[in-house]
Amino acid sequence: MIAGLGLLLGVLLGLVLQPTVPIWLQPYLPIAVVAALDAVFGALRAFLDGIFDDKVFVVSFVSNVLIAALIVYLGDQLGVGGQLSTGVIVVLGIRIFSNVAAIRRHLFHA
Amino acid sequence: MGLLNYLTATSLDEDYAHASERRAREQAGEAGSDRGSGRRRTGHGTALVVLALFGVLVATAFVQTARSADDAAERHDELVKQVLARRDQLQQQRGRAEELRAETESLQNTYLQATAEGRSLQARLERLGLATGADPAQGPGVRVVVDDGPTSGGADAEVLDVDLQKLVNGLWLSGAEAVAVNGQRLTALSAIRLAGPVITVNYERISGPYTVTAIGDPATLAARFVDTPGGQWWLDLQALYGVQFRIDRAESLTLPASRRVDLRHARTTEVMQ
Repeated sequence: MIAGLGLLLGVLLGLVLQPTVPIWLQPYLPIAVVAALDAVFGALRAFLDGIFDDKVFVVSFVSNVLIAALIVYLGDQLGVGGQLSTGVIVVLGIRIFSNVAAIRRHLFHA
Repeated sequence: MGLLNYLTATSLDEDYAHASERRAREQAGEAGSDRGSGRRRTGHGTALVVLALFGVLVATAFVQTARSADDAAERHDELVKQVLARRDQLQQQRGRAEELRAETESLQNTYLQATAEGRSLQARLERLGLATGADPAQGPGVRVVVDDGPTSGGADAEVLDVDLQKLVNGLWLSGAEAVAVNGQRLTALSAIRLAGPVITVNYERISGPYTVTAIGDPATLAARFVDTPGGQWWLDLQALYGVQFRIDRAESLTLPASRRVDLRHARTTEVMQ
């Protein structure tokens, strides 16, 4: 409940302030969002499993975002940015799907 | 397969399990004390901040994507506008070039008419213009209409660039003085080629039925054509594959001038009288 409020607050804050992202950071924003999404779904699943730990959540969130951005940056420098982004998206996508499946089992017992 | 299994098996960060184990051990060790729960209460604040950060991130990405989509559309529109403007400009310039060419020609004629030497020069120019295809040509001749045979004949019954080449060469050989294919005047620089599925003449796409017009003696042109290798080729095509081929006399044919006769490298060695 409180978590949902925090999320809503963040979204509203982002929509109202509309921070401008510097040009050099723009390519990494979408991949950072996907990485953050993975961390958030992982946290939700852990919460439902009853093993949620905020320190782990914070660390996994920050490291997910940073590593995803770093991989894409490295790929851009090596000339394989697009392919590496695809790889990151695929891995994170699979993780998100299986986490959401676990969450679904918790919520609907199905 | 192994990688996929690993990914789904470890989709939840293992640290959560480790942390909860450690907490359970701590709680078991210090049963009765409420230190652990106190630590958790302060910790939820950080999680909230991180979630808010996530919200900001999502909103920013959304706004950014929408904005750059607008930008891209704007840029696209701008480019389209530029292309259209340039195309108009090109059209205008072409029209102007055409005007200037006509003006040059009329001036040239005026000056050449003035002297006897000029008149002979003009006669020569006209002769050369006809021969090179730089001027439109008019006169009697033959009209040859060819087209693909029945579709049951398959690829064999299709008219190819080679067939048209042989047809045109046969006409030249029979004494044609000017030849055009589907209104494309043939010059020394013309090419009849297959570009993918279509035939191009002077790099312009043409499609069947192909009308080859040739100016020459209408009494002998058709008869002599049949004796040329090109004529034999076409009679064979007609007999074997059913390719359509018709040759008719024409009392008056008008062949257009070729669109461009620019020589970049060739020069005359001497001016003939």
